[in-house]
Amino acid sequence: MLSEKQVIGLFKDENLAASAIESMAGCPWQLRGVNSPFPSERIMKAMKAGKSRVGHFTLAGGIIGFLSGVSLAAYTSLQWSLIVSGKPVVALIPYLIVGFEFTILFAVFGNIVGLITQTRLPEYRSVSTYDPRCSGEYFGVLASCAEGNQDALLAFFKEKGGEARFL
Amino acid sequence: MSGLTYSQIDQTVLDTLRPASLRYWAVIVLMFFGILLGAGCWAYQIGVGIGVGGQSIPVAWGTYLINFVFWVGIAHSGTLISAILHLFRAAWRNPIARAAETMTVFAVCVAGLFPFIHLGRIWIVYYILPYPNDRNLWPNFQSPLVFDVIAISTYLMVSSLFWYTGMLPDLAIVRDRATGLRKRIFHILSLGWTGRFEEWRHYTRAYLFFAALATPLVISVHSVVSWDFALGIVPGWHSTIFAPYFVAGAIHSGLAMVLTLMIPMRTIFRYEVFITKDILDNIAKTIVFTGLIVGYAYAIEYFLAWYSHNIVEQESFRWRAAGEYSLAFWVMVICNSVVPLLFFIRKVRRSIPWLFGISILINIGMWSERFVIIIGGVAHDFMPNAWGTYSPTIIEYGVLVGSFCLFFFLFLLFVKHMPSVSMTEMKESVHKGVGHAL
Repeated sequence: MLSEKQVIGLFKDENLAASAIESMAGCPWQLRGVNSPFPSERIMKAMKAGKSRVGHFTLAGGIIGFLSGVSLAAYTSLQWSLIVSGKPVVALIPYLIVGFEFTILFAVFGNIVGLITQTRLPEYRSVSTYDPRCSGEYFGVLASCAEGNQDALLAFFKEKGGEARFL
Repeated sequence: MSGLTYSQIDQTVLDTLRPASLRYWAVIVLMFFGILLGAGCWAYQIGVGIGVGGQSIPVAWGTYLINFVFWVGIAHSGTLISAILHLFRAAWRNPIARAAETMTVFAVCVAGLFPFIHLGRIWIVYYILPYPNDRNLWPNFQSPLVFDVIAISTYLMVSSLFWYTGMLPDLAIVRDRATGLRKRIFHILSLGWTGRFEEWRHYTRAYLFFAALATPLVISVHSVVSWDFALGIVPGWHSTIFAPYFVAGAIHSGLAMVLTLMIPMRTIFRYEVFITKDILDNIAKTIVFTGLIVGYAYAIEYFLAWYSHNIVEQESFRWRAAGEYSLAFWVMVICNSVVPLLFFIRKVRRSIPWLFGISILINIGMWSERFVIIIGGVAHDFMPNAWGTYSPTIIEYGVLVGSFCLFFFLFLLFVKHMPSVSMTEMKESVHKGVGHAL
C-alpha cells in the first residue's frame, strides 16, 4: 500500500487560497485543512461550510438558565412561606430579573461548551504539524496525496500562486 | 490604517511585549505599595471593626458603596465598545476593544471587592449564597441587593470569558513567535489554536453570540445597581429614571476612563498608527452623547421634584445644590455635563492634552455624582431630626487609593505581558474594514 504524503500550500492572498481549494475538486489529492490568520468569508464559501451548531448549545444553556433562575428563586421562597407586607410569596416580576441574569450566564456557559466541543479545543498535537506563518500573514492549504503524486501537488500549489512545501 | 501590512500589525503589538524598562517596574512597585496601603486599611478595619470607617446613621452607605458603583460604571464601556460596537460593525472599535475589555474585567474585580469591604464581617459573606442550611434560611430573591450579587457575578464571568475567548487567536500569534518559557506559557494559554477553518467557523459564531448576550447584560447590570437605590423610598433615590440614568452615567465614565488609559498607552507603545486621532474623536463624540443624557437626567430630577409637589423631595434636591455637599454637586454638574460640551469643538476632540484633561475631569465628576446620590439621599431624608452628615475617614481614603492602585497595577501588568491590541481584528480591519465580520 502506498503511503500518504502531505503538502502545504501557503498563499498571501485569500482569493488565491480559495481558488486553490475550489480547483482541488476532481484532483487526485485530498484537502486536509485550511489555516488562516483571520476568519475569511471567501474561504468559508470555497469550503462550502454549513452553519455552525454552537448556537444550539447557547440556546439550550439559555433555556436551562432561565428555568434554573426562576425555579431557584421560587423554591427558596416557598421554603419560608410567609406573606410579608402583602407581597406574594412567589413574586414573578422580581424572579424574572433573577431568571434573566441566569439566562445570560448559562447561555454563555452553553456557548463555551459549544465552542469547545465543536472546535475540539484544547488540542495541542496539531500545533507541531502546522506552519506558524499561518498565524501571521499566510493562508495555509493542507493537502495529502498518494506517494508519487507529491511533486504534482507541489506544482499545483505553485501554479495557483502560492509557496509549497512537504510536511 | 489601511496602509498597514499584516506583519507590521504583528510586529507593532509584539514589540510591546519586549522586556520592560526600569521606569515601568518602578511604577509597578509604586502601585504595589498602594495596594498594600489599601489592604492594610482593610485588614485594620477587619481587626477593629467597621466603625473605623465614617459610616454611621443616618449615612450607613459611605465611600465603599460609592467606589463600588464607580468601578461598576467604569466596567461598562469595555463591553459597550467590544460587544455593542461589534454588533453595529463599527470598525473603529477594533484597536481599542482589547484594552477596553481588559479595563472591564479588572474594574469589575475591583468593584466586586467593595461589597465585601462594606460588609465588615467578611467571614460570613457566604450568607448571601443560596445554600441548604439547618435553619432553612435563603437569600431573599425579591431584594435588589441579591439581584446585584447575581448580576455582578454574572457580569464578571461573562466579561472574563468574552475577554479570554477573544484573545485566543492572538495568544497563538505570540506563541508562534516566542521562545523558551514564554512560548511554553502561551502554548498552554492558546489551547492549541492554529486558525483552522473549523476553528474560525465556530469561533466567529460563538463570538457573535457572546456579543449578543453581553449587550443586554451590560444594560441590565447597571440597571440592577440603580435599583439598589431606586427600590428604596429615600427621597432622591426613589425614581423611575434611575436605570437609564445610571446606565448612561456608567458608559459616560467608562468612555472617559478609556481615554485616560488609551492616551498614555498609544504614546508609550507607539500605537499612534492603530489608535488614531479619528478613533479618539469618535470616543469624544460618544462622550458628548452620554454627557447630554446625564445632563438631561440631572435636570429632569429637579423637574420631577418640582412637579411632584412633594416637599421632602423638593427639600432634598434644594439641599443637594445648596447644602453641605454643594461642592460635590457642582463638581458633578460641571464635570459631567458642561465640560464634555467642549467636545462639540472639533479642535478639542483632536487635541490630546484636551482629551486627556477632560477625561480625568469626567472621572472626578462621576465619582462626585455617586457621592451626591448615595450620601445626599440618606443624609437628608424625611425627618429633620434624623439629618446628619458624613465624611470619609483616613481608612476609607486608604482603601480608595488601594483600589485605584490595584486597577492600574493589573492593567499595567496586562498591557506589558499580553497583546493589548487585537492583532486578528486589526488584520480584518485592514482587510475589509470590520472585525469578525462573519
